[in-house]
Amino acid sequence: MASFIQLLISGLATGAIYALIAVGFTLLWQTSQTINFAQGEFVMLPAFFVLAAMNWGAPFWLAALIGIAAALVVLGLLFKLIVVDPMLRYGVLPLVISTIALSLLLKESVKDFYSAQAQAFPPLVPDADVHLFGAVVSTQSLVVLGVAIATVAALHLWLNKTRTGRSMQATAQNPALARILGIPVQRMVLYTFLVNAVLVAIASILISPIYLAKFTNGETLGTAAFIAAIIGGFNQVRGAILGGIILGVLDNLSAAYLSSQYRGAFPLLILIAVILCRPQGLLGRVEERTV
Amino acid sequence: MNPVLQVADLRKSFGGIAAVDGVSFQVDEGEILGIIGPNGSGKSTLFNCVLGQLTPSSGEVRVDGRRTTGMRPCDLNRLGVSRTFQLLQVFPQLSVRDNLILAGQEHQGSMVSRLFGRADAGLGEGADRMLDFFRLSHFAAQPAGSLSYGQQKLLDAAMAFMAGPRLVLLDEPAGGVNLTMLSHLRERLQAYHAERKATFVVIEHQMEFVMALCTRVLVLAEGRIIAEGAPAAVRRNPVVIEAYLGH
Repeated sequence: MASFIQLLISGLATGAIYALIAVGFTLLWQTSQTINFAQGEFVMLPAFFVLAAMNWGAPFWLAALIGIAAALVVLGLLFKLIVVDPMLRYGVLPLVISTIALSLLLKESVKDFYSAQAQAFPPLVPDADVHLFGAVVSTQSLVVLGVAIATVAALHLWLNKTRTGRSMQATAQNPALARILGIPVQRMVLYTFLVNAVLVAIASILISPIYLAKFTNGETLGTAAFIAAIIGGFNQVRGAILGGIILGVLDNLSAAYLSSQYRGAFPLLILIAVILCRPQGLLGRVEERTV
Repeated sequence: MNPVLQVADLRKSFGGIAAVDGVSFQVDEGEILGIIGPNGSGKSTLFNCVLGQLTPSSGEVRVDGRRTTGMRPCDLNRLGVSRTFQLLQVFPQLSVRDNLILAGQEHQGSMVSRLFGRADAGLGEGADRMLDFFRLSHFAAQPAGSLSYGQQKLLDAAMAFMAGPRLVLLDEPAGGVNLTMLSHLRERLQAYHAERKATFVVIEHQMEFVMALCTRVLVLAEGRIIAEGAPAAVRRNPVVIEAYLGH
């Protein structure tokens, strides 16, 4: 039982990080039909911004802020201006291919300009163990869980309780009407890209102490976020959260109780089951598109 | 009496075919002008030119004396010209109340209040009054997409009134609405008109609806105005009967 709780909490922590990445992924899709196949690399990169800032002598907290700011500019603003805006007018497929190219570029750039070696990344809190319901849980997992929940809660409040948040939802649901009503649609789309940049930067800071900062990190993370979004429902923020958590918990529990050799296969089995039985995802809506 | 909308010699051709062929009219404050005409007579093209969704080939549109030809729909919206849609346009997953607030919010507030301002943008009360007026209070918290077609038409109309517009253009409000809902919609539009002295232009196929609602009717055929006058007079006009009612 104790080991179950331990596995559950560390699974929830990993799942919460997947959820952050998947939420950004679905937000981009909803407001701008961008399927970002570089999302994994988007999570890999901010850790290196932070490390670079620390190499320049910044303390960790300042470096983390610099990392988030750099992500806002590079992964939010520049991504939209240089990659998405010019490509989207040619349709979704050229954009998808561009994001795949971007993922390769980011990965190889980090390898060439920073290092091919995995880099140690400072944790948010010193590592210690806490006793919880008879189980030994690391403070790391609890902090990760706490930060992820706070981030999602803040996002939820912003989307639902502020005027801009509602305008962003309106833009996602009916851009033509939003434009006629005078909502600045392009600005709302930009906000979505900035929100995604913050989400991936936070995910990066949370996950890098566990996985180490490495240029290949994006491969697993991107796939995980993609699977989480599909399992939960591509067009629902809460679907992405559910999908991420299912994935994280399942990964930990299946490795311990079923087979650690095949742990990578279980998410894919669920993915196949969801696509066969409920293609819109667990919480997703069937999409009707007008042409 | 001040003209709210003036259209002067408006033309719009598509590949050499004139869909609107030199149409001039004006709408005075407090009028409900109906525009009728057979399919393909140019009603929708005329509407879209007035609303900035199409740029006219020539001619001029003025709102309150100000030239608006070629203005974007959102700028017209800020000038107080709002519209309803022939094919329903709502935000389906947002609540009915939020739909109303969205319809009014771009008319007020500063840049700062937009970013972090309270979600109701000071429009909560106005939205509740509008819900009450259109008898939609019941559905305030429901997603707009879950309403029936007729109820969504009511919501569409309510959204058009949210910003307290100078001029409302209604694009086939009766289309696809059952008779009970239709008389309710007409009655609400009349009540709003009586209360606020609002100015409407209505494009419609449903004759009874137009005859009962409008104070003046304009008949289009092949892109030109062929008759104009009080509903009862237009209905008896032999030219109109020939072109439109003559089956």
